[in-house]
Amino acid sequence: MDRINAYIRPDGRIGIRNYILVISMVSCSNTVTERIARATGAISVVHEQGCTEFEHDHKRTKLGLISAGRNPNVGGVLLVGLGCEKTNIEEVKNAIAETGKPVESMLIQKEGGSPQAEKKGISLVEKLREIISDEKRQSCTLEGLVVGVQCGGSDWTTALSGNTAIGVMTDLVIKNGGSVLMSEVAGFPGSEHIVASRAVSHEVGLQVLDMISELREEYIETYGQKIEEVNPTPGNKAGGITTLVEKSMGNIKKMGTSPVQGVLKLGEEIPRPGLWVIDNRAQGPDAFNLTGLAMEGAVLTAFSTGRGSPVGNAVMPTLKLTGNPETFGRLESMIDFNAGVIIEGASIEETGRRLYELLLEIANGRETKSEINCDFEYTIPREAARKK
Amino acid sequence: MGETVVKKAVRIEKEDNVAVAVQNIAAGDSVKCGEVSIVALDNIPEGHKIAVSSISKGENIVKYAVTIGLASGDIRAGEYVHSHNVEDITDKLCNEYEKQFRSMEG
Repeated sequence: MDRINAYIRPDGRIGIRNYILVISMVSCSNTVTERIARATGAISVVHEQGCTEFEHDHKRTKLGLISAGRNPNVGGVLLVGLGCEKTNIEEVKNAIAETGKPVESMLIQKEGGSPQAEKKGISLVEKLREIISDEKRQSCTLEGLVVGVQCGGSDWTTALSGNTAIGVMTDLVIKNGGSVLMSEVAGFPGSEHIVASRAVSHEVGLQVLDMISELREEYIETYGQKIEEVNPTPGNKAGGITTLVEKSMGNIKKMGTSPVQGVLKLGEEIPRPGLWVIDNRAQGPDAFNLTGLAMEGAVLTAFSTGRGSPVGNAVMPTLKLTGNPETFGRLESMIDFNAGVIIEGASIEETGRRLYELLLEIANGRETKSEINCDFEYTIPREAARKK
Repeated sequence: MGETVVKKAVRIEKEDNVAVAVQNIAAGDSVKCGEVSIVALDNIPEGHKIAVSSISKGENIVKYAVTIGLASGDIRAGEYVHSHNVEDITDKLCNEYEKQFRSMEG
């Protein structure tokens, strides 16, 4: 079994970074939050919510902010609020502090204004840095390591050489005792029978089928047509995709061939290591899904991109790979791994193994391009109000 | 006489009876799909599929080691494989599996 050197958190989870996070409680405190982060080299989490929002939206905002602070890659947290917002800063603070990490908080109205808050915030981050400075990496197994898989900015190589390499990597993470999260469930219809056939139990198979039946019904309600009637799209067909099974298998490939342990909703704890499906139906740009994985506790995500994407995340390094050798040549400054060698004749198995080895190096501390370029997005995925 | 150029196609899993062209292939080109070499019988655009072995009408088209459709006519090794000779049976695959799965005991 492979081992890594990582931060073993008081709650037993494994972090591969020791970031300090400055989190804004409401859009009114975004600028002060960003200034503090910039002055100290900490990472900021800002957003456009936190007040005058509907209850189910606010619940999601709080989950997003608390999950950012609780992520095992985060060593210390400073919360910055205004003072009259809906987000209850004490509630957020307590939920993050439960994990045993230091959390500081302050309100701009109480500090006497923005400049005062900024000054105090800088000294609080320095204090946090002092507290966490003696935390050391320790040797550990991959049990407790949570890895996300995703793709975006796709082209014809994504399913062929990008996602197939990720699939090999996924199986190696699982084989070595770790966990992998897959959340692009909107791309499952057409291959749900394959996913269900890999379920660890009949019950889990039903979970998968129920989720996809619901998705199919929602699709008909929204668009008045079955998914099969509009898929593959004319664009897909022009690119060589013949059937919906073929299209969705390109997505499913990232899961490798490991058994599916279950389906979790955002915010649910991962009960045991293995391959998990996260029911995150948020549709939107890549950062939404990526943030969903971070919220669920992923500390690293392998992201395959045929055309190239700068995307990264505030609380987890993003290992970007492309299946397209030309894209790698043009955009190497934001892509970590060239899986395009598969197109040039390298084996999928061997390339996937090399990807897994890079993943271990990154877990041990090697910086990703997303970190070097400070691509630290945090975009909380929104959920449409469910009827049921 | 021009040089013989060997084109490439990637066969993702060893069970697959189709491979994906990684460059535009012209009819008559030699195509290397991993261990297997075949002669292309049609023009095949980059990213599209080529039959690696002959597939009879009604047989499964296999890619990613799963059935992605049925041959709607006899397909020879080296032929272009797409909507013109593949029947999309996604609906049937999903529905039949689901029906059978739900009727089983836990």
